[in-house]
Amino acid sequence: MSAPRPLPRGRHQLPREEVVRSQRLRLLTAAAEVCGERGYDATTVATIIAAAGVGRETFYELFEDRRACVLEAHQVLLDDLIARIQIAYAGPGEWVERCRATIAALLDWFAADPLGGRFLLLELPAVGPEFHARFQAGFDRLVAVIDAGLDPDLPQPEPLPASSLAVGAAIARVYGEVSAGRTEDLPALLPSLTYEVLVPFLGEDAARAAALAAVPQAG
Amino acid sequence: MIACCAEKTYAGTTIADLVSRGSVSRTTFYKLFTDRRDCFDAAVDLCIERIAATLAAASAGCDSPAEATRRATVAGLELLAAEPELALILGGDVLSVDPGLVDRYGRMLVPALQGMWTAAGEPPRKHSSPGIAFGRAQLLVFHEVAAGRAEQLPALVPDIVYLAIAPFAGHDEALRQARLAKGEPAVEAPV
Repeated sequence: MSAPRPLPRGRHQLPREEVVRSQRLRLLTAAAEVCGERGYDATTVATIIAAAGVGRETFYELFEDRRACVLEAHQVLLDDLIARIQIAYAGPGEWVERCRATIAALLDWFAADPLGGRFLLLELPAVGPEFHARFQAGFDRLVAVIDAGLDPDLPQPEPLPASSLAVGAAIARVYGEVSAGRTEDLPALLPSLTYEVLVPFLGEDAARAAALAAVPQAG
Repeated sequence: MIACCAEKTYAGTTIADLVSRGSVSRTTFYKLFTDRRDCFDAAVDLCIERIAATLAAASAGCDSPAEATRRATVAGLELLAAEPELALILGGDVLSVDPGLVDRYGRMLVPALQGMWTAAGEPPRKHSSPGIAFGRAQLLVFHEVAAGRAEQLPALVPDIVYLAIAPFAGHDEALRQARLAKGEPAVEAPV
């Protein structure tokens, strides 16, 4: 996510709540970027306000401390990712096509914002014990999204929690690439990740067919 | 260190916490470890050794790779149910402290699983990525432990059996083994 522009200095016509909203958004964006770039330990209030172009006093009017700011930034980013995934998953086509579109949306989201991705996946444990509950909640939200859009005609691979395995495959793969700094190559993983996500639902043959359909046609 | 990480994560753990919990002096701490990170790495190694030893003991003497995998899964999940701090440090803190460590213990476990199939004369053809299966298993386990439901880990046996077998023997066989594992009585109900 690119940093929203600071408001013009001096007199302007913007109402007070508009100013506060802009400051808050800039601080959250800055917290995510600084934390993704330097890690949570190096993310001080001073670095956040410098990156956001907002005063220290304003920071403390809006957030209790850097922890609160970073945790909210994390929540905002996760909400954004889940919203993108929901949109892609609710798109047109058969369930397998919607899955492919969802995986593509996930990979594109991380490729478009390397720092945001690092922040989202790598830095939360450094914030403290609230990481455990937040991880669990985020995972559950993703599983709920996948479950809600399942094709009712899909054979149930009893006893597997196939939606959890789908989310697990996506997180495991994206985590590996993001932690290794290979975010820009993520979209190229669409066929292989499609295969891995679909195997527990469909078995190897159908998953392979779906993955091959995701390979860009050589022109 | 393992207990402190479970309680307040690595980020919240200080040297003062470690020496107080370990009932050793600060001087002793610095004789044993260069710093907090050094102690963390040693703790991670210890966790990995405990898990690897448990898996190896459980799978020793089994005829088939599938059976060995099932037994190792049951034993591994029972260990983590009894000592969830092992899963908290490996599944949680390690991710932020050094992603390279995740690779390291993945690289220990995956070839061990693969070796069982090769030794049994099964074709080494890979049906899916063992690395991703490992990541999935780790996430499922960590999800339960992070939710404070470590005692329910043995319920994951069929899922983990599926994940551990599918890369090597395929979806159908893995599903069959998972159902078998579900139907088998637990070795010992956790108290």
